[in-house]
Amino acid sequence: MERYDLIVAGAGPAGLSAAIEAAKRGLRVIVFDENEKPGGQLFKQIHKFFGSKEDKAKIRGFKIGKDLLEEANKCGVEVVLNAIVIGLYLDKEVTVKIGDGIQHFKGDTLIVATGASENMVTFDGWTLPGVIGAGAAQTMMNLHHLKPGNRILMLGSGNVGLVVSFQLMQAGCEVVALVDAAPKVGGYGVHASKIARCGVPFYLSHTIIKAEGEQFVNGVIIGEVDSSWEMISGTQKHFDVDTICLAVGLSPMSQLLKMAGCHMKDTPGGYIPECDEKGATSVPGIFVAGDVSGIEEASSAMIEGRISGIAAAEYLGFIDKEELKKSIEKQEKALISLREGMFAPENRGRSIKKTEEGIDVSINLLKKGYIEETEIERFPGFTKCKGVHPVIECTQNIPCNPCQEACVKKCIKIGEKITSLPAIDETKECIGCGMCVASCSGQAIFLVNEEYEQGYAAITLPYEFLPLPEVGSQGKALDRSGKEICAAKIIDVKTKKAFDYTHLITMKVPADMSRKARFFVNSRRCEDE
Amino acid sequence: MSKLKERMSGIGEFMSQPDDQLIICRCEEITKGEIRKAVHDGMFTMTEIRRYLRTGMGLCQGLTCASMVKRIVARELLISSMELEPAVSRAPMRPVEMKIFGNEEKEVK
Repeated sequence: MERYDLIVAGAGPAGLSAAIEAAKRGLRVIVFDENEKPGGQLFKQIHKFFGSKEDKAKIRGFKIGKDLLEEANKCGVEVVLNAIVIGLYLDKEVTVKIGDGIQHFKGDTLIVATGASENMVTFDGWTLPGVIGAGAAQTMMNLHHLKPGNRILMLGSGNVGLVVSFQLMQAGCEVVALVDAAPKVGGYGVHASKIARCGVPFYLSHTIIKAEGEQFVNGVIIGEVDSSWEMISGTQKHFDVDTICLAVGLSPMSQLLKMAGCHMKDTPGGYIPECDEKGATSVPGIFVAGDVSGIEEASSAMIEGRISGIAAAEYLGFIDKEELKKSIEKQEKALISLREGMFAPENRGRSIKKTEEGIDVSINLLKKGYIEETEIERFPGFTKCKGVHPVIECTQNIPCNPCQEACVKKCIKIGEKITSLPAIDETKECIGCGMCVASCSGQAIFLVNEEYEQGYAAITLPYEFLPLPEVGSQGKALDRSGKEICAAKIIDVKTKKAFDYTHLITMKVPADMSRKARFFVNSRRCEDE
Repeated sequence: MSKLKERMSGIGEFMSQPDDQLIICRCEEITKGEIRKAVHDGMFTMTEIRRYLRTGMGLCQGLTCASMVKRIVARELLISSMELEPAVSRAPMRPVEMKIFGNEEKEVK
């Protein structure tokens, strides 16, 4: 039986981060993961992450995964794949299925970073082929390059549902509706806006009644629910779809910890181990990190991983208490800032009426997925001035600040508090470089020039679909709700390495549309429909 | 037996519901109605339900259905789902073929 200073179960963002920090401090570390590829969910995340610059914001998830893996290898961490930890016993002995046998390992410390599994909901026909989890859709698209379906209905308006809907459209699928039983959008407004302006209708307070089809899904019926979740009769709607995608939350995969005898607690967010702020469970030497101890974003999972890796080093005496305190201070600060804002854990289920700045939140954003023109004016990112200037449609306090750094002219101000709304400093001159547009993980920044030509305005928007429109192509401009509002012509297409695949397209629209037009479709697509 | 009767009192008779046919545990093909009925047969804990019906004992080992079964049982018992202790966690955490499970490395060389 091999012995290690630290055994980590799970090679996702939390597990790898923990392994790296521990190995850096001299521990002999091995990581087991049941998948054939390391990185957990990171490799399915093709979008840019939110957060602060220090914590890898605006970097795409799969790149973060690649970097973590490289660092782990450099630090001498052994990562064993296709290795399932099937048992966790007294004295931190684990049994692992590797190949055709079961092997025993003993860890002086153990970090469980097994992540979470997707929740399902039941409705008539939910077991039909064609009803899939959002995670499965991501695996098909982003790992195996397969289209999950052609016409898709998404259930769930949390960040997973919103992000995966966008990715489905990027893969060439049509998302016919986004449905959620809750009365308001659960995820970030910027994620919702980015699919709403492509024309995806939002059905809040709606749920799936039935998946239709004999052998596989060929349709779906949804209906509206009242405030006590009862179906309102006569509200049924039918959609022709071949796929129903479920994004209805995650549950921590904490069974190993229960098996190890850790004190557990049942919470609305799932069955989780009791642990302190360093991830230490009730069993000395067993730590946790990431979603297994409560569902959060990958960014917080990485920080939790680092903290528990450092704590494991201290537990074994590789570093002293003083160094532990010093090393995790910064991490804890970063973790606290990620947990602030409107989507903070303590705000779950609460209805927030005003931003931290005291501005009334956009009700339409929560109900329909986009901000109405009448609402956008009150936010500090919205300005109207001469020449080209950024318009930032970021209206919720979320922990994210790459736009502030992106502007070389310092036009964008967020300040010390990472959740503050970005504001435009009108005394600084915008040079129209577009770095802010490309840096915004929420694709919520536009460059607007109200006086591009006599009677015409130019709008630059982030564009992550292929094929890219060409300069000179004619098409239609869509408003925030995805409605065609006017003719538009592409006058510039920018692609730069620094933009990291967020292309910038500039369209010319009639001047009075400058505050409305936020997306572009080619004429060819218009004709198809 | 009287103890069981005492536990049963208060949850009422088993009444069929329109969605009783809905499959909850896909691996073992157990319906909502069967789970609800099991509660009225006296299965009050997740461990009892699991042994009685085999819910969560198939290929996915309850990864999909465990929380759904728990909610159905809790609702039938008229308690919050969080008051119900989840079923015991046992190795192997994932289904493992017997030939592999039996191929356990021998004592320290």
